[in-house]
Amino acid sequence: MEPIITVKNLWKNYGSKQVLKGIDLSIYPGQVIGYIGPNGAGKSTTVKILCGLISDYEGYVSIKGMDLKKDTLAVKSIIGYVPELAELYDVLTPMEFLTFMAELYNLDTVIAEERIIKMMTAFGLENNIHQRMDTFSKGMRQKVLITSGLLHNPDIIILDEPLSGLDANSVIIIKELISRLARDGKTIFYCSHMMDVVEKVSDRIVLIDNGVVIANGSFEELQQQQGNQSLEKIFAGLTGNDSMNNAADALRSAFEN
Amino acid sequence: MFKSLFGSKENRPSKPRRNIINRFFLNAVLLPSSLYKRMGVNVSHLKSILHTKLLMDDRRPNTIQQTRAKKDGNITGATLGTMLISALMGAFFLVSFFAGKDYVTHLTIYFSMYIFLLASSLISDFTSVLIDIRDNYIILPKPVTDRTVVTARLLHIIIHVSKIVLPMSLPGIIYMAFKTNPWGSIVFMIMLIFSSLLTIFIINALYIFILRVTTPQKFQSIISYFQIFFAVFLYGSYQIVPRMIDRANLEGYSITGNKWAWSAPPYWFATAWQGLSKFDFEAANIAAIALSIVFPLASIYVVIKYFAPSFNQKLSLINSSNAEQESVPVKGKRMGSTTPAYVKMMAEWFSKKGAERMAFLFCWKMTSRSKDFKLKVYPAIGYMIVILVLPFFTKRNFNLDRIKDADAAPFIFIGFIYFSSFLVMQAIAQMSYSEKFKAAWIYFITPVKAPGQIISGALKAAMAKFYIPIVILVSTAAIILAGPELLPNLLLGLFNEVLICSLITYITVKELPFSMQQSNNAKSGSFIKGLFMLIIPAMVALLHFLIYKFTPVVYIFIVLSAVATWLTLGSINNIGWNKILSKAD
Repeated sequence: MEPIITVKNLWKNYGSKQVLKGIDLSIYPGQVIGYIGPNGAGKSTTVKILCGLISDYEGYVSIKGMDLKKDTLAVKSIIGYVPELAELYDVLTPMEFLTFMAELYNLDTVIAEERIIKMMTAFGLENNIHQRMDTFSKGMRQKVLITSGLLHNPDIIILDEPLSGLDANSVIIIKELISRLARDGKTIFYCSHMMDVVEKVSDRIVLIDNGVVIANGSFEELQQQQGNQSLEKIFAGLTGNDSMNNAADALRSAFEN
Repeated sequence: MFKSLFGSKENRPSKPRRNIINRFFLNAVLLPSSLYKRMGVNVSHLKSILHTKLLMDDRRPNTIQQTRAKKDGNITGATLGTMLISALMGAFFLVSFFAGKDYVTHLTIYFSMYIFLLASSLISDFTSVLIDIRDNYIILPKPVTDRTVVTARLLHIIIHVSKIVLPMSLPGIIYMAFKTNPWGSIVFMIMLIFSSLLTIFIINALYIFILRVTTPQKFQSIISYFQIFFAVFLYGSYQIVPRMIDRANLEGYSITGNKWAWSAPPYWFATAWQGLSKFDFEAANIAAIALSIVFPLASIYVVIKYFAPSFNQKLSLINSSNAEQESVPVKGKRMGSTTPAYVKMMAEWFSKKGAERMAFLFCWKMTSRSKDFKLKVYPAIGYMIVILVLPFFTKRNFNLDRIKDADAAPFIFIGFIYFSSFLVMQAIAQMSYSEKFKAAWIYFITPVKAPGQIISGALKAAMAKFYIPIVILVSTAAIILAGPELLPNLLLGLFNEVLICSLITYITVKELPFSMQQSNNAKSGSFIKGLFMLIIPAMVALLHFLIYKFTPVVYIFIVLSAVATWLTLGSINNIGWNKILSKAD
């Protein structure tokens, strides 16, 4: 099978700071990729490159056979992006915001409106469709954002901490949704710091640190390599250092004066 | 200050009417659709972006609406007020028709004022219109071309500008229609359009230039300082220039024939008007017509075609990359305390240990570092300088010799002592507000017995930072120029001023420092409010002038004032939680 996302030797720097140092990835359709790494590892930068937000990278990225640098627009239209921060034009209503999104994705307005109503209803927001979002809770905003990322039925869905602010029930919905979408052949690129969720939803886990991929495989494969332990432990073992265990001790002992 | 003059961009008419206005503007700017298409712009994207942006502009409530909306329904007065002020500014431009002896001179001055004022208001509005960071997450990941986004921004700005420009140019157009003829007025309007385009280009180029030479991270603070500088410059020039103008000389002046004038675009527009309205097509006029039409159009085209792509790239970095970069602090570098020794010293002198001193240091640092605060308070420094310098331009006989004059000196210096409280009052009024108002939870989870201690610390920090230095400066000047006899009076002024500020704080401040969200344009009135607050010191100053010659009385008042100050500060310290309006949510 052809990979849907191919990343070859991806480098990116902000001035003198090298953020990505030669990332290689091949991602196949229908996979859920858990993309994890410590703060500042280069996760968001990778995501921004895949979304076409950053174009001055070195290396080769192709999505569905298209060169990201050359066919940026075509690539953007098959990607659904749910950003990490709940950034919305919150003076709009969900309907206004989402039809706006649909228009930018060149969706037919009638189809879009139908989808919006269906999706918002599925999220339990059917009564809020025509309310301004400035009064919405974080979870409601997140639901609108997720809807905006799925609206145009993209082949690739990039989720950046999609569960933040959601209540337990919504978390179940999203997790279920992720696996259903993957079964339908969608590729899901899931960035998160919540190791337990990543462990459960991902078919493959890619761990980056300091701009380099340091682990890449299914959870079971990682367990074989790193010992039979939780992803959290594996993560800590690969990215932390010896002082990690001592940190808690040091913190506690700070009271001893 | 421009926001305050025009209201901000949020000032739009209420729903039914504004939709007509917006629809009109939307249709108007979309007229040259085929041209946009040829430039590589996706017109349906363009339309939906513009539609959404205008819709959002409508929804942003302004101060007047916020406060009044609770009482009654929708309000239209704000827009009318804004437009009225724009129109008043436009009427002010008519001054130019009294300078110089021919229309080219009049109009050169008119267009200079027009372009300058428009540019200034654009600089402050651009940060809110152009740099909506949310666009990075919402619009840029969508399959929209850069050129479409930039065109949408430009058109949005044009609409926004039109809402200012139309009322502003109206007085000039009417004047021209009466003074010349309908054709002259039409040509004048055309020239106004092109000069507006040119102004937009200048601002765009300026932004692009700033983005090129600095990091995006510094961009917004540079723009802030620019705004401060512009506000002060503008205020200063409106105050000083009319006083400097010698009318007799001016009326005979003509700019025509001055070779240097060709370097100033307003001159092109003026000369082009001359040529077009009088059908006088001599070489110079034709050159001016060509310049004033071709140059704005070409420059706008260049912005869209060549600057746009890299501009967007850079713009998307303003927020995004620095977040990531800053999350990795320099490792292995132990940082020392960032509190300068003199600040610590002052904190120890002025504030009691505990919550009050904490608040003193906290507010001292916040007022130095918060961009938001600086933007709103620092222009006051500029206004003050302008007002202090002003007398030297107004009266020919007002100079250093006169200051040394025994009769005038006390008035001037005592007046300065009172007047310079303008800055600290602005600071106190602004201190409750912050963009990061939510961080105020720190006050509520810590065992602070009386929030008054925090308010008192904040007040003292404001006094120490924004008033004491000026007082020292003024007193030094007074002692050097007028002699030490003035010292008791200066002292009384200082105590009275501290008392006034304390009383105002005690009465008006019901919020903890940096704990309130400031609605987008609540700041608009702050300058006026600040002037209004000066009435109190002015009245006290008047009373002071009545007694300043009787030194024993002055001493008695010093004691009284000091005691009253001490009591007020004590009361502030005891303000309890029940009086605090900010909430812990």
